[in-house]
Parts: sequence; structure tokens; C-alpha cells
Amino acid sequence: MNPSTLVDPITLAVVKGGLEQIVDEMDAIIVRAAFSPVISEQLDRASGVFHPRTGEVVAQGRLTLPIFMTAMQFSVQAAMAAAGRRGGFRPGDIYILNNPYLGGTHLPDVKLVMPVFQGEEILALLAACGHWNDIGGSTPGGFAPGATEIHQEGLLINPVPLYREGRLQEDLLGLLLDNVRVPEERRGDLQAVVSALQVGAGRYTDLIARYGADTINACFDELNDRSEQHMRALIREIPDGTYLFEDAVDNDGHVASPLLVHLALTVAGDRMTFDFTRSSAPARGPVNLPRKTCIASCQIAIKHIFPEVTINGGCFRPFDYVIPPSTFVGAEYPYPISGYLESVGRVISVVFGAMSQALPERTPADLFGTTGVITMAGTHPERGNYYVMLFPGAGGYGGNPQGDGLVNGTTALGAANFPSVESVEHRVPVRVERLAIRDGSGGAGRHRGGCGTAYRYRSLTDEIAVAVLGDRRDFLPFGVLGGKPAAGADVVFGSREGEFRLPFVTKGRRNLARGEVVEYLSPGGGGYGDPLERDPERVLRDAVLGYISREQAREDYGVVLEPRAGSDGLVSWTLDRTATTALRAALPDAPGAVPGHPAEAR
Amino acid sequence: MAKLLGIDVGGTFTDLFYLDEATGRVSISKASTTPGDLSVGLFDAMGHIGVSAGDIDLFIHGTTMATNAIIERKGARCGLITTLGFRDVLELGRRDRPHLYGLHGVQEPLIPRDLRLEVRERLDHRGEVVEPLDESDVLEAAEILRAKGVEAVVVCFLHSYANPVHERRAKEVLQGFHPGWLITLSAELLPELYEFERLSTAAVHTYLQPMVARYVGALKQRLAEGGFRRDVLFVQSNGGIMSSATACQRPANLARSGPAAGVSAASYLARLAGFDNVISADMGGTSFDVCLIPGGRPRTTEETNLGFRLPLRVSMIDVHTIGAGGGSIAWIDRAGILQVGPESAGADPGPAAYRRGGTRPTVTDANLVLGRINPGFVLGGEHGLKMDPDAASRAIEAEVGKPLGLALEEAATAIIRVANNNMAGRIRVVSVERGHDPRDFALVAFGGAGPLHAAALMKDVGIGRSLIPYYPGVLCALGCVTADVRHDFVRTVMRSLDELDPEGFRAMVRETVADGTRLIQDEGVPVERVDVLLAADMGYEGQRHNIRVTLPPELSPEGITAAFAEAYRSEYKQTLDGLPVRLTTLRVTVLGLRPRLDIGSWVAAGSALTGIPQGRRAVYFDGRYHDTPVYARAALPPGSELAGPAIVEQADCTTVLEPDTTARVDRLGNLILEARHP
Repeated sequence: MNPSTLVDPITLAVVKGGLEQIVDEMDAIIVRAAFSPVISEQLDRASGVFHPRTGEVVAQGRLTLPIFMTAMQFSVQAAMAAAGRRGGFRPGDIYILNNPYLGGTHLPDVKLVMPVFQGEEILALLAACGHWNDIGGSTPGGFAPGATEIHQEGLLINPVPLYREGRLQEDLLGLLLDNVRVPEERRGDLQAVVSALQVGAGRYTDLIARYGADTINACFDELNDRSEQHMRALIREIPDGTYLFEDAVDNDGHVASPLLVHLALTVAGDRMTFDFTRSSAPARGPVNLPRKTCIASCQIAIKHIFPEVTINGGCFRPFDYVIPPSTFVGAEYPYPISGYLESVGRVISVVFGAMSQALPERTPADLFGTTGVITMAGTHPERGNYYVMLFPGAGGYGGNPQGDGLVNGTTALGAANFPSVESVEHRVPVRVERLAIRDGSGGAGRHRGGCGTAYRYRSLTDEIAVAVLGDRRDFLPFGVLGGKPAAGADVVFGSREGEFRLPFVTKGRRNLARGEVVEYLSPGGGGYGDPLERDPERVLRDAVLGYISREQAREDYGVVLEPRAGSDGLVSWTLDRTATTALRAALPDAPGAVPGHPAEAR
Repeated sequence: MAKLLGIDVGGTFTDLFYLDEATGRVSISKASTTPGDLSVGLFDAMGHIGVSAGDIDLFIHGTTMATNAIIERKGARCGLITTLGFRDVLELGRRDRPHLYGLHGVQEPLIPRDLRLEVRERLDHRGEVVEPLDESDVLEAAEILRAKGVEAVVVCFLHSYANPVHERRAKEVLQGFHPGWLITLSAELLPELYEFERLSTAAVHTYLQPMVARYVGALKQRLAEGGFRRDVLFVQSNGGIMSSATACQRPANLARSGPAAGVSAASYLARLAGFDNVISADMGGTSFDVCLIPGGRPRTTEETNLGFRLPLRVSMIDVHTIGAGGGSIAWIDRAGILQVGPESAGADPGPAAYRRGGTRPTVTDANLVLGRINPGFVLGGEHGLKMDPDAASRAIEAEVGKPLGLALEEAATAIIRVANNNMAGRIRVVSVERGHDPRDFALVAFGGAGPLHAAALMKDVGIGRSLIPYYPGVLCALGCVTADVRHDFVRTVMRSLDELDPEGFRAMVRETVADGTRLIQDEGVPVERVDVLLAADMGYEGQRHNIRVTLPPELSPEGITAAFAEAYRSEYKQTLDGLPVRLTTLRVTVLGLRPRLDIGSWVAAGSALTGIPQGRRAVYFDGRYHDTPVYARAALPPGSELAGPAIVEQADCTTVLEPDTTARVDRLGNLILEARHP
């Protein structure tokens, strides 16, 4: 039957809203009931409704993290295949998996997939996921800079039934929990996700009862088709051509050479092809991306440029991908992947870089581009419990067509919040000594990039195991349309002997002794447009607020500021207009964005 | 027997409700809000019904002034003094962005970076001094802030909730340096963990303080000149009232004042009418506000965001708002799907039918085209604006009918259905999020547009009954008059139940209750008795999110444990035995209950209770026009019964009875709709 004859436009709008409410409610349940702070405080979780035959996403939580955009769809499809090998889903089954080569993201993202039945027929699949604070393996928390194969990064779970026909498989669960740290909390995390699935299934059954399975199925198809049409319409507005851009992950923490991400983005009519053939080979260390995660990263970048498109299986149909397994962005088992967030960041950067040539009026400059996770673990000296705490980095956003970049933005691929300083000190034996805007770190531009963030932690106990997994120290967040790059990342340790850095600076492990400190300086965002076109008054304001220095005002913006002692005795800056005009005329024009310009190490 | 005046100054209209208890006389009026000087609109509204300041015993005020001042950044120039290393907390927030997709956004901290200064001092998480306060740093910061001309200073140190010693000392130093400054201590306002949220809350209060104080002062003076000698009272975000002195001290408590008054009235009326569980639904011109009121008590929340990176932690009625109102615009998205809102034509230019420059179709236009709103209706007496159904039809045909291939009435029906679906979805989410089934609730629908949609919403959500108050258009003003005095207090505890010292905890409760009781006495509003509600935020050790647990009166550890287990099970259907339970925050609510009002007498005082339709007109329901009776609300005596389809009209509001709905008028004049669900 032709779906469009079955679904009237009003029912379609109503069912769409109904599906969104179901997944939003599932997301909310996971956050409220979870134990892992990374879920409950940083909102790292996902929920979705999936097509019963294709496994395509039909609706996902409006606040589900971007990185799960299609990762969940791949996970559902993997669970469908596994169920198929066992004779198909049964009512009450819930499959569990975390295999990133099958379903994207990384091992701590434990995904659950549940069919919704009416009689013998599967009407939809529901899936949900939460990021466990630990998944076993060599490094607490699972961000393992030393890993050279996935098994060192944690427990690998291929899709298997955790519930069979409504019965929890206690033996399997026991085996899983025996292999992770703080297992009782992980059991709580799992229960949170199971509750969400059960509530979601109930709501979904109500929706079916109201509109009938045929109508809902027709809506599924119609919604996906419409998103596809929407995306095609947007692509048609991009000039045809092939846009090249290259950037790099600094290194893999094992071998001191950059890993190039090379994108040839071809727009032809209403289709786009993302070709990564010329990227570097798989890495020894954990910055590899499974192909499916690379695909999800491209989709995230496009969705940030076209936020108005509704996400479902349809909107990404007009995309093709060339991601050979010979590249580190299409790596296969058993290459280690736990630093994948860094490479996801770089794929997003190259899509922005290519799109800024194709569609400069909609594309922002590069953002800070590194998740830079610092993990701290150990035994609490007073409470005696084992703790694992993840500190995701924040950073500056790129200047963009609308204005200056934000400070302390969350990653493009996530939306996780940062834990409060006071709650950190309640949980972990550290003193946070600084949480501050990193002055001068935003890229200069007509619209300035946002500054990075500085965090400093001091150990209050004899030993805290610290793992750092970041990037963007050598290859900097780039500006577009003449905007300048931002400052890169830095990780500085301090001990009695003085300041020092790890061999790979942003990747590695070290134990902090009592009184030792670690400071993380995150990158800013790139500038958008020629800094010489920035209103001098705004440059003055930036200097007064300390976002830029007087030297940066002069060198990057061609703006001359003179110190002035006010009647109040305070020294501040005043704008010297004449000198500014002369200086700006004398400075060479900023180089424009050069298409395909290879990334430049600094 | 007092003369009570409730006045709600909203963004567009100022609504007034006046009751003379001795005569049972009620007067209501509406005036345009006057943003430059709010008191102009306020006195206009009083003038419309001939009430002067001398005719009032109790003056109770609701207002959106606080929220608007924040949105428009029209507050005070404030400085901040904080712990070394943390002056940027206010700007950094908690690592986020305004929208999940799209990497842009604007941020304007209430205190700019050059007015945020750091001093040497440090406490640990237990409140123990790690580094003493450096008073010379405080003086140096004070010099700079004075030079920069701030009128108020916020002091916020890390872990001050655990020990306010450094904040207090800093205040003394600052007062000594510049006695004219208004000084806010973060832990005095909000002795609670989470530095960003505490600081932001302190900044909001301080930012608003001078402006609110000036307004209150001027208003009191003008009322006094007219012969009013008492205090002006304000409705807080928690739905209770406070004195003007408290309002000046804690102006952020006004943030959701108007909507809270509406909810408070809805719960008041519902209780009198015999409904235990209700959902209030206030649909105005631009927004739809929903609040869950289980067991007669509006749900409250402890945090809201007044904008990007602008959290406010004060106890407030948990009103959820979506952009669905009479002015919400219908449009077709690029995937070809009909959408309604959140963009609104507002009051200006307003719906296409107003013919004031609006050309895009709105929910009001759709209601007009289908005959649900009287085409002869004259909007707000003073405008004398007549609506134009032809303009409404043209807009709907052009922007919805043609693109979707629908006839005019179908297109108008579609607009209403999509708008209803958005609102019904919100009602469902608000209730199921809290573990309630909306079908166990009755709806209290009000606001200019609420009663137009109540019957349809009942059907969408599966609700059996709706209450349409006698004065649905000015319910927020009525809510000012019916509100109780209420003060909420929080205390951070952060102890697992095994570690909790029961005597110390009881002492903390006693002191807090005594503070609240004293505050109510000092404020001097006549109350019949004082009630205390004790609750705690609790969770398993390791969970970030807590649940609200009503504490047993004896406060024994066993009783608290049992109450937690029961609350946890009702929320998550399970408990996690064996994990330690933590009590994070004590919450104490002290209520001063005011005398009940005799609402039934207001209706009996009405005139011409004929109960017969004043006319008929064609109204479109279920795919065709029905010849539909139209009643005047004021002519329906208690006990009247109506069957849908029918229309009930009053000056500022229309109630629609869908075909399978019936209605009766109860003894209080409420219209009780009942739906026959298939």
C-alpha cells in the first residue's frame, strides 16, 4: 500500500509528536535512575525507536547525545542479525551489546535492544544505552591511552539476550559484572536502562492501540521519506563539486607521527559522498575509528550545519561513504579504539573544513575538537570505596556566521555537562584549584573564536591514578574565511621537581602523589572571517575583559590600544583610532581559506 | 470581612480581581501593561472598576517584572568577589551549548568579567578552613569595584554552604569600606552545594534587587497617598505570598510569580469543588503553562533556567511552558509537515483576523473560521477591535490549506488538532515524568484560550472531567487573593543515614521551622494557623539525582529509611537493597494559612440567571457544521446542565463543548465538563 494514501498529514504530525514523547521519557528515566555520574550528571545516554524490518531509526530522544545518532541504529541492526541467527526475537527478549565495530562508539556504552510485539508480530524495536563509568580492562574508566588492542580496553560484548522471554539471565549478568569495577553501581545503571525500555514499550503499545499498527508503520516510512526529501533539498542548494580538506590527529600516544584525516567531499545534485581513502593507516594506539563511528561523525557535522532536519533513518540516505579498512577511520577488530572521541572530533573538523568552502554562510570555524578526557581513579582515603571519575574537557567554539564562538562549549559529538567543583571535592580526594577562561586562546577573526578552559587539580592523597586521553596540541583548531587558528591543548603536571609533560603530552598515564597537580588547558575555537574587519570597539572590549591581550589586539587585529590611568586610579585601555587605521592599512590581508590546504603542524 | 485586591501584571495585560467580602461584590478588569512604568497599567486597571487605594485592605501583587528584567538585561550593575581561581564560574557554567545541534549561541553573564574579582581564601568540602580569608585582597577588590561604579556586590566562596565564615567576614569588610552597597552572600540566600547554581542564583537576586526595591517603594508611596496604609504583598514563584520586605530581599522569588498565582488559584478552586488530583492548564496568547497538582498540592521544583547559563535555584511551582497559545502560528516545515508554534504572532501584530499586519494563520484564526469564537466578538473593551473571519480564512487557505491540499475547514481543524496534540503531549509528559497517569486527573483550564480547547484536550489525553473557573480570564489575579503565605527553606545535609546524628538533625529542623514561623509573624499577614511540611532530597549513595521524600513527623532514622524506600519504589518500581542511602538536602516549607473565601456567594450575586441560550450559530465539529446553541456564562445558574455541541461565552473567554461532552454548573459557578470517552 502506498503510505501516503494511508496517512493523513494530521495523523502524521500527531504520531511524530507521540514518538518523540516516548523517547524523551526514556531518556529522562535513564538519567534520573542511573548511578554513573557520566550518565546522571553528564547526560551520556541514548534512547530510540527503530523500524521493525530495517532497524532504521524512526525517532530518537531530542536530547540524546549526537554521537549516538546512528550508532544506535547500527547496534539495533547488529542485534537483529544476532536474533535472526537464534530463530528471531521472542516477546520479552532484551539483547545486550557493546561491540564498537558492530554498533559504533566505545565499550563503556552498553546498549540494550528490545522488540515490541503485538501477537507474533514485531511492531518496533526500542533501544537505549548509558555510558558506564567502567567496563573493566586495563584502565579504570575505559579511556586507555596504553591500549594496543581492544581487549585491553574492556569487556567486549557481542549481541546476546540479557533477558529471554522476560527472564533476566542472572548467570550472564553475573559474569559481566564480575569483570567491571564497582559492579553494584553498574547493576543500577543497567536497571535504569531496562526501566526505560519497559516504560517505552508500554507507551508504544498505547500509541498502537490508538492509531493501529498499519497507520504507525505507514508513519514510520513516511517520516523517514520526508526527512530524506528535506535533506536532499538542502544538498541541492550546495554548489556541485569536490571539496578537499585535511587535518590530523597529533599522534596515537605510541608512535610520534600524525594521523591524517583526508576528506574528499563530493556534492553532486542531491547526493553527497564522503571519501576518506587518502587518510592514514590504522594506528597502533587507541585513536582508531570503526567505520560506523566515522559515518556517525560525518552525520553529526552535517546536522550541526543543518540543525533543522529531523533525525531518522531517512535523512542520511542521500549520503555515500568511502572509508576503506586500510585507513584508521575505518579500522577493524582488534585495533584499539578507546581514544575514538579524538578522531571523531577530527572527522567533524574536516567536514566543517570542506563545508566552509562549499557553504561558507552556514558553516562555523573549527571548534576546540578534543574531548580530552582525564580519568582519576583510586581508593578514597576516608571512605575506603573505589572511585572512577571522568573529567571531559570543554573548549571554545569557532567564530560562526552568527557571531563570536562560545566559551566552555561541550564537544560537537556530545552534550555532557561538567561536574560541579564542589561535588567533585566531595567525591574524589582532589582540590580543584582553578576553573577559568584560558585568556588569549580563541582564534582571531571578524567573529572571534571562543577561548578554551583551564582546569587544575591537586591530589590530597598518596596515589591517584590519572589517565589522559586528548589531542589537538600540534594540529590546531583552524579558522575559516581568513580567521586564525586557536591555541592548542596542553597538559601540565606539577611535582616537587617542577613542571613537566608526558612524552605524548595529551596521551598517557601517571599517578599523582599527594600535593602533585595536573593542569589541563583546552583549545579555543578558530576565527571566522578576517580579523582586520572586526569592529575595533569590540576588540577593545575583548581586551578589557581579558579575552585577548594588548599584543594580540595589535598583532592579530591591527588595533592599537593605549594604557590610560583613569581619575579613579585604575589603568585601563583606550582605543587609538588613528594608529589603528594606519596599522590596519599597513598589515597584509589575511590569507583566504585555501581549498584543500593541508593541515599545518605548528 | 476585608476588601481584597489581587493584581497580576503580565507581559501584555494587567489583570485585576477585587472582592469586597462584606457585600460579596466581585469586580474584574484588564488593562494593557505599561512596560516603562508598570504602575500606570496597574492604576488603569483599578480605575476601570473605580477602586481607589483607600478601598483596599489587602493588596496582593503578581508580576513578570523580574523575568522581563533578566531577559532584557535591565538590572543593576553588580560586582562579584569570589575564591581565587574561580571568577569565571559564572560565565563558564557547566560545559554546554544553547541547542543540541548548531554550534553557536550568545551569552551575556549578569556580571561581566571585569567586575568579577578574586581573593585568597579556601574552605574544603567539610567547611574547614584550608586558607584563611585575605582581607587585604577583599579591600583591594572593593577599591576596584567602587571605581567601576557598582551598586551591589555578590560574595560567593567555594563550599560556603558548609561554613559561611569567610563570606560573612567579607561582608563586614565590604560594609566597612562602602556602607551604601547592597551585599549578597551566596550561602545566606542558598546554603546549598553546586557553586555555579548558587552563584547564579545570588547574581539573579542581586541584579534585580535595586529595581524591585525602587518599584516597591514608589508603589507603596503612591498607594499611601491614596489612603492605603498597609503592606503590598507579592506572590512568589512557589505560589505563596510574601511581604514587600521579603520581596526586596529575595526578588528572584518573583521569577514565576504570575503563573504560580494561576496554579495556586486552580488548586484552590479544585479543592473547593471536590477534586483531589488536577492538572492546571493556562493557555494564553503565546504560551501554554501546565502544572501537576496531585493531592491538591502543586508540584514544585527547585531549579529553572532564566536563559542560557542562567540557572535559578529557588523553590517554585513546577510550571511547564510550551509555545502554544491563541497567537501560535501554523506553518509547513520543509519536510511538508504541519507545525503549530512555537513562534507566536503575540498580541501585536496578532492573528491575521486582527488585521493589524499579521498575515500568518494562528490558532485563534482557526477557532474563528470554525465558528468556535464569535465573529462579532470585540476584543478587550479598550481596543474595540473586531475580528475579521475573512482575513483569517485567507491566511489559513494560503499557508496551510493549499500546500497540504485541504479545504478551509479541514485546514483549520488540522491547525487546532496539531496545537491540541502539542498541548496534550505536554500534559502527558508532565504527569508521566512524575509517575502519574493523567487519566486519574481532572483538568482546570483557564487563560483566554484554555476553555476553547479544554474539551478536546480531555479527549486527547483521556481525561474525564474539566473545571472551567467562573473567571477564567483573570485567574492569576484571583490566585493572588487566594494564596497562602509560604516560605521554603533548604539546608544541605549530605550525610548517609548511618552517619546522620538524629538529635542534630531534629535540632536543624526545629531551628528552620522557628525561622519560618518567625518570618510569618514578622510579615504580619493575617493567617488562621501555621502548617509545616518536611521533606528531604534523598538517593542511594552514588546517585546524582535525588527523589523527594516526605519525612515522618518523628524524624527517626528507621522512619526516614522506610519513607525513602516507599518513595523510591513508587518512582522506579524497585529498590536497590544493600546500598547506603544518603540524605542530601532538608526542605522545610512553612505555610501561613489564610481564611477561606466564600466563593459560592459571588455567583449567587450574579444577575439574570436564565439558563437559556442567547442564540445559535453554525460551528464546525467532526467534519461538518452543527447548529450550535450559544449560552452566556453569566446567565447559567448553579445546577444548569448542557450537552455538547454548545458554546458558552463570557467577556474575555469562550468555552467550547465538543459534541460528546456534557457540562454542568456547580454550586461555585464552575463549569464542569465531562467527556464521554468511547
